[in-house]
Amino acid sequence: MQDTASPAELMVILRHAPHGSSWLKEGLDVALVAAAFDRRVTLLFMGEGITALLEGQQAGPLGQKGTAPTLAMLEMYDIDNLLVEQRGMDELGLTSDQLMLPVRGVGDAEISRLVASHVLVLNF
Amino acid sequence: MLLHTLNRPPTSQVLAQALAGMGPDDKLLLIEDGVIGALPAHRERFGRVAGRLYALQEDLESRGLLSLRDEAVRVVDVGGFISMTETSERTVSWY
Amino acid sequence: MASTEIYRYLLVSSQDIPLDPEGYLVNMNEWSTDVCERLAEEEGIALTVDHWEVIHVLRDFYDRFEQAPAMRPLVKAVGQALGPDKGRSIYLMKLFPGSPAKVGARLAGLPKPANCL
Repeated sequence: MQDTASPAELMVILRHAPHGSSWLKEGLDVALVAAAFDRRVTLLFMGEGITALLEGQQAGPLGQKGTAPTLAMLEMYDIDNLLVEQRGMDELGLTSDQLMLPVRGVGDAEISRLVASHVLVLNF
Repeated sequence: MLLHTLNRPPTSQVLAQALAGMGPDDKLLLIEDGVIGALPAHRERFGRVAGRLYALQEDLESRGLLSLRDEAVRVVDVGGFISMTETSERTVSWY
Repeated sequence: MASTEIYRYLLVSSQDIPLDPEGYLVNMNEWSTDVCERLAEEEGIALTVDHWEVIHVLRDFYDRFEQAPAMRPLVKAVGQALGPDKGRSIYLMKLFPGSPAKVGARLAGLPKPANCL
């Protein structure tokens, strides 16, 4: 188990919706690789990236794997610091009970603190 | 101090994301399509980073925007961009 | 990642089972306990009840998440399914020497785990 007081190392910001591009998958891959190598990872879903968390997602056309199973797998990699941009949630008209994982909403002030406090921030 | 770069036009929601990620001393450098944000008409959108807003000279020039830019936007060339990355703790790209 | 390149065949009860260059099944649905036994032989592993229960954890992981686990999540999944005594890397290293995540995935008929050296 990791010490929750130790500084968070990597923040991956996911800003792209599933299926439309490979950005979301690539961002999740980076998060998983880092976690597999024992880095502490924070995931922040912003804007349309929040829709990745919606319940009831399916595989894409031609049987392309969706991202929902990967999101469900995050806890097995001990990635449990899941944040969503509150403004993005409001703009999409979504509430956290519509999402498949427990998340915490964060406002702009907290987001800028998170960007400043992580050792590395990667935008996807 | 972090350097943030934005390569999307000021009408993109990515601008709001970049602004959300910026701390009080961070600088924002507009590059590529982002330099359209240097036009005076967009001044209000960047109110939160007034005095900390930069635009890349080469990208302004190639778009004919250098003479049209808001005087409050600081212009840096590629060399200046590199110096900014050197004096910043980290660089965060918004795209 | 899963490869579709056929590199060689594994002969199992007079059937040729295609394997990729790293020895993983090309078609996951060709997995059977017989195939698993043959793959284990190639690794020099004599399968015991302890191996089989981990192989089932691996297959169950793939059913749930559509990916083979790296070491860290494998340890966690084994711990959840089989108890904390078995959810340890030393235990898994003994069963599947070398790289338990990779060797285990191969025997379980899964693609090679991504995110794993």
